[in-house]
Amino acid sequence: MHKWTKDHVGGTLLVAVGLAVVVAGVGYGVGSLRHMGPGFFPVALGALLALVGAALLAGARRAGAVATAAPVEMAHLAGPVVQWRGWACIVAGVLAFVVLGEHGGLVPASFVSVFVAALGDRRNGVGAAAALAAALTALGVIVFHAWLHLQLPLFTW
Amino acid sequence: MHDSLIQLAYGFGIALQPENLLWCVVGVLVGNLIGVLPGMGPLSTISMLLPIVAVIAPVPGILMLAGIFYGSQYGGAIGAILLNLPSHPPHAVTCLDGYPLTLQGRGGTALGITMMASFFAASVGIVVMIFLSPLLVRAADSFGPADICAIMLLGLLAGATMARGSPLKGVAMTAFGLLCGVVGTDSMSGSARYTLGITDLRDGVELGGLTMGLFGIADFLVSVNRSTVDPAKARVAMRDMWPRRADLRQAFWPMLRGTGVGTLFGALPGTGPTITTFLAYALERRIAREPARFGHGALEGVAAPEAASHSKTQVDFIPTMSLGIPGDAVMALILGALIMKGLQPGPQLVSEHPDIFWGLIASFWIGNVLLVILNVPLIGVWVRLLRVPYRFLFPSALFFIAVGVYSTRNNLFDVAIVAAFGVVGAILLALEFPLSPIVLGFVLGPMLEPNFRRAMLLSRGELSVFVTRPVAAGFMGASALLVLVQVLGWWRGRRRAAAPLAP
Repeated sequence: MHKWTKDHVGGTLLVAVGLAVVVAGVGYGVGSLRHMGPGFFPVALGALLALVGAALLAGARRAGAVATAAPVEMAHLAGPVVQWRGWACIVAGVLAFVVLGEHGGLVPASFVSVFVAALGDRRNGVGAAAALAAALTALGVIVFHAWLHLQLPLFTW
Repeated sequence: MHDSLIQLAYGFGIALQPENLLWCVVGVLVGNLIGVLPGMGPLSTISMLLPIVAVIAPVPGILMLAGIFYGSQYGGAIGAILLNLPSHPPHAVTCLDGYPLTLQGRGGTALGITMMASFFAASVGIVVMIFLSPLLVRAADSFGPADICAIMLLGLLAGATMARGSPLKGVAMTAFGLLCGVVGTDSMSGSARYTLGITDLRDGVELGGLTMGLFGIADFLVSVNRSTVDPAKARVAMRDMWPRRADLRQAFWPMLRGTGVGTLFGALPGTGPTITTFLAYALERRIAREPARFGHGALEGVAAPEAASHSKTQVDFIPTMSLGIPGDAVMALILGALIMKGLQPGPQLVSEHPDIFWGLIASFWIGNVLLVILNVPLIGVWVRLLRVPYRFLFPSALFFIAVGVYSTRNNLFDVAIVAAFGVVGAILLALEFPLSPIVLGFVLGPMLEPNFRRAMLLSRGELSVFVTRPVAAGFMGASALLVLVQVLGWWRGRRRAAAPLAP
């Protein structure tokens, strides 16, 4: 057994997504070329996606066989790729805005989302994160609430 | 031709109205402000500012959009030259000589030259646009749905195969983008597609949500705790911004040649902005008397690619505005913003809304002038912004993304979409898929599908319309050629890779 490369993972993902799209699209009605149903276009695209995925799988080499250079936009990045704390905090920060925007209002949503996201950076302590969150919440209230009349109320409880 | 000039004067009249001018200034300032921040390329800058563009009237909104576009492009060059950090791929070439110049204490000169080169190149591009757009519009009057489809196909293929990395992955991402555009209610039959039973998805995916996820959140996810940029190094003084006479003499011809390369390849579909800048750089190094200076702070290596990139993007506006078919992701985003404002770029736009079309062209030029005027005094501010540590930058940007995406439709669901596309984007980046073709597909999808269905209805299901109509056949031929070139390139690459193994 050899190790899976990025192309193996990517190709498999494409095949899976492509097939799922095709299966769902057939249900919408494919129709004929002359009278296309709503499913025609997505089924064609899903098939294309799966085919490209298969081609990617076929062309994938064994891990370590080809070393690809990092793309220019990522050349300034270093260190371990896996950043569980960072990932969790960033995603939770965005989702906190959704949940608290619904059940709390602009002020709690802003404060918590910035606070949680900031904690994703290992150099940020609780104090720094809270200070940044407070500053941005204040700025948000002035700019978005007072000036741009954002429809989200400040507090909704 | 004479008509164009009268129209242009009219456009200037519109763009110079105080309210419109004010929004253009605001656009340039804010675009530059956000564009200078590490990791914020034109794509993330424009999508972050879409909510503001959405609330103001169409004409000033579009002028502001033009300002944002220029501001963000120039802002990106500042980061590339001072920090060796290209937020937008075309700036990668600028880093090669721009950053060494900064290390030699001549970063200000490099910025000044960049500013002049981009102003000059954009001016040339605008002139080309003024004279070519009406011709294209006249030709486009006779285009049927099949022709439009063929042009879009070429645009999509070009966008897919010219992105960095494997063309196969580019095609996959284009298809993925097209599929994202399918999500929602089908305009022809009214049935909901791929909504996963979520009511909010019936209106489709919001453009800002998709782009902010892919280019904002995904970038944070990939960069968090890993950025090695040391912003403290960025130092530049205002007086350095004016190049010396010798510098000007050194940069003048490269600037002209770069503009030529950019204009020439801008008109050619299938050469992305990144390739164009590399070509301009390679040309300079080839004809230089001492090629060894390149990579160690040659001004020519900054002037030529920047000029090429700016004239290329300017010329790219021609198909975007007069046919409604964008050449790359940035153009697709601008097109999406125009559609959001209720304007469908294309031949009709030019004839029905001449105020917008010519006003936009005039504001391109005004935006460039403003950029030059504002950047010299403000360079100190930009440099200070550049030095904001990443640990404060990304939570702040995340907050503005969330509020901005919410405000576009006053819908919190769109913010959840941002999170979803952020995760998807980060996974795709980790697997080395290019992200920009997704935007191109997403914007073009909702135009490609109805046109294809209409073309097939008209031809009674005969696919042969794509070869029997001359315009369609021409573009299909070009697409086929593009695929052929890619396949040949891949085959030769394989042979070269296999060669060392042979005895």
